[in-house]
Amino acid sequence: MERVECIVVGGGLAGLSAAYGLAEAGVEVMVLERGDYSGAKNVTGGRLYLKPIRDIYPELWDEAPFERPVARELVTMMAEGAHTTVEIASDRFTAGAPQSYTVLRARLDQWLAEKVMEKGAMVVPNMKVDELLREDGRVIGIRAGEDEIGADVVVVAEGVLRLLSSAAGLATQPKARHHALGYKEVIELPPGVIEDRWHLNPGEGAAQLFMGECTKGMMGGAFLYTNRESISLGIVVGMEDMRRRRDGTESWQLLDEFKELPQIRPLVAGGTVAEYSAHAIPEGGISQVPRLAGDGYLVAGDAAGFCLNALVTVRGMDFAVAAGHLAAEAIKRAKAAGDFSAAGLASYEGSLRSSFVLRDLETARTIPSFMENPRLFTHYPRAVARLLESVYTVDERPQDGLVKKAWKSVRRDFLNVATVKDAWSARRI
Amino acid sequence: MPMKIDAKLGLDVFKLDKEPHIVIDTEVCNTVCTDDACLYVCPADLYERDDQGRMTVNWEGCLECGTCLICCDPRALSWKYPGGPYGVQYRMS
Amino acid sequence: MDIVVCVKTNPDLEMVRVKDRVAQTEGVPYKIGDLEKNALEAAVALREAGAAAKVTALCLAEGNRKAAEDIKTALAMGADEAVVVDDPALADPDEAAVAAALAAAVKKIGACDLLLFGEGSSDNYTGQVGARVAELLGLPQIGYARKVEAADGAVRCERSMDDMIETVEAPLPAAVTVVSEINEPRIPGLMQIMKAKSKPLQVWSLADLGLEAPAPVREIVSNLAKEQDRKHIVFEGTAAEQADAFVDALTREGVLGR
Ligand SMILES: Cc1cc2nc3c(=O)[nH]c(=O)nc-3n(C[C@H](O)[C@H](O)[C@H](O)COP(=O)(O)OP(=O)(O)OC[C@H]3O[C@@H](n4cnc5c(N)ncnc54)[C@H](O)[C@@H]3O)c2cc1C
Ligand code: SF4
Ligand code: SF4
Repeated sequence: MERVECIVVGGGLAGLSAAYGLAEAGVEVMVLERGDYSGAKNVTGGRLYLKPIRDIYPELWDEAPFERPVARELVTMMAEGAHTTVEIASDRFTAGAPQSYTVLRARLDQWLAEKVMEKGAMVVPNMKVDELLREDGRVIGIRAGEDEIGADVVVVAEGVLRLLSSAAGLATQPKARHHALGYKEVIELPPGVIEDRWHLNPGEGAAQLFMGECTKGMMGGAFLYTNRESISLGIVVGMEDMRRRRDGTESWQLLDEFKELPQIRPLVAGGTVAEYSAHAIPEGGISQVPRLAGDGYLVAGDAAGFCLNALVTVRGMDFAVAAGHLAAEAIKRAKAAGDFSAAGLASYEGSLRSSFVLRDLETARTIPSFMENPRLFTHYPRAVARLLESVYTVDERPQDGLVKKAWKSVRRDFLNVATVKDAWSARRI
Repeated sequence: MPMKIDAKLGLDVFKLDKEPHIVIDTEVCNTVCTDDACLYVCPADLYERDDQGRMTVNWEGCLECGTCLICCDPRALSWKYPGGPYGVQYRMS
Repeated sequence: MDIVVCVKTNPDLEMVRVKDRVAQTEGVPYKIGDLEKNALEAAVALREAGAAAKVTALCLAEGNRKAAEDIKTALAMGADEAVVVDDPALADPDEAAVAAALAAAVKKIGACDLLLFGEGSSDNYTGQVGARVAELLGLPQIGYARKVEAADGAVRCERSMDDMIETVEAPLPAAVTVVSEINEPRIPGLMQIMKAKSKPLQVWSLADLGLEAPAPVREIVSNLAKEQDRKHIVFEGTAAEQADAFVDALTREGVLGR
């Protein structure tokens, strides 16, 4: 059997990050990617939180093909016929280096793959791995088509579906209740129009998230990220909610209906849809993280469940890069010790635990069950929208005082047994 | 008027394999399944019943999101990624 | 017998998006043209059958900055060696310049009994390059080959003609351009791709070939189809009414009933 020191399965952000660190240290590494190029199969919403990973491979990011630094954060809560948009502004978002950037994966991943190759790693596109080879419980290599290639260690960075790792018994098969479907359109708009519509300085970007009516009360929301010459507009919806719903709603219709809303139409007016894409998102939180290292293998990125949906922000890309980096570090140590067994690779989990990856997932431990509360996606967005609607309504009827108006709405929508219970459980997240 | 889903898929690049990468065991659909989840969850609207009431999937337009696989509780699907140079190829996303 | 296969890489046409009538090639990966893959497959098959000793893939980068990477596919498909001619002066060459550079490179490679080409490239398909190179090198040329056999110092080809198949023989050295019916090119497996990494690959400039930067003899003014206005007529009513109105409209436009 032909051999290399390390095989990385999957040339997404997690796999490429691992390969970059390994190639830099002179480890012989080969990345196998099933797409025409890295990024050809990958979908994200669109925002990479760079801040947590800026110090990992610091030389890389200055030349990364990001779309726009996010300067405006908007959250829109939607009721039927009423909505409220809140801008979350903080000097800390924009002071110094921006904390996050919008991205498109075909461009970003392809660029990173080139950087990895410049460091001396082999990145093989159009190469689907069909099997993780096991011998006495140890992962000894991979099979692609008829070819079997051995490796001291395999980095499993195959993404959310875990097809290979579940077939090899290293992880469980993904379940609907722990996953969301995310899909989007990339809609082309001239840069000037984007900057006018979202009140941006030239080159700056906006992130706008929507909760409430857009998912008809199902877990999830809508997102909008401004790219250089396009916007990414999409829906995230919990698979379990989607599947349980029996009113004939089909997932793909949510985006069409959303785009037709009078408050959304002007945002996309004049745009040309350029691409339509979809992907699953792991949302099971830390409880769905599989064993991270075993004899001859490590797991990183979405394949490891390193993804966090905290109501309106999905984070997975920064986790993927960080985990890839830590995987590379652990492999370098294992190589120095000549021990690629579970024990030799065990430092991986330790370093993940002391990094933001598992810490943030741990902090968010209760979010997944908290989010199963349907009121979060129906009642509250609606309530906020209605509250402000009532405060701002002036008509021919005698007006209640402002305080009275607000109080009426608060009493109706926020002060009842259910909401108090929700507030109580929210204290734990 | 919203853009038709077919038109949206028409914007994507699909490199067609000769073999389908999704195969449905329709026996399972007809005997075990209680919710026909695939019909509702697929973001590309690729599932439909044929004249004889058998579930079919237009796998050529598959976005490879895996949603049908995850949501099909009775496990009627044999679902793999298209091999080699095949399947959807995103140019932006 | 040694074979040289001239291989062009071009942007993967399936991946090119058109925006405002302009092809967007930024970020579009290059790949070896379809007919060039047929030519490679034919060459490797001849070697595997014992009719050839060595197969060299020769590629003019023509602005593909990753040509030296992309040509490895030819090595993975079974070519023994590869040569890339990459020179800024040849970023967007016309056919005369392409042929001159290829002819010079074939001479520099030295041993070449059979020179294979695709009938035309996947992007421009001018179908000129094979014939031009053959002429510059003074070789007999056979076009539209759907079968290539070589034995006893000669190449024998079946040619796909419109209504017949012609069998032609030429003494070696000779140039042959092939069509897609000739074979089904292999998709290299991982092992082949890994082995390709250590096969010889050279990159030459025009100076290495003793050539000067070519003066362009061609200027592309536009390659866009003429724009035509659409009528934007929508017909309403029952299917029968729509059909009647449609036929009426076509007749009015002079498309029907003349
Ligand atoms: C709609 C949506 C919105 C999101 N929004 C955000 C956001 O705004 N911010 C954020 O940080 N995160 C977001 N995420 C999450 C983020 O995109 C993922 O967490 C991240 O892409 C995970 O990276 P990865 O490298 O682990 O996996 P992937 O990017 O999925 O990479 C896996 C790679 O492995 C390859 N592969 C799989 N199987 C094989 C095989 N058998 N052989 C060879 N190759 C294989 C795939 O082709 C792919 O390239 C979003 C996700 C979605 C779907
Ligand atoms: S969900 Fe699965 S079992 Fe049910 S109809 Fe669809 S494919 Fe068949
Ligand atoms: S993988 Fe996604 S796009 Fe493909 S058939 Fe299943 S649900 Fe539809």
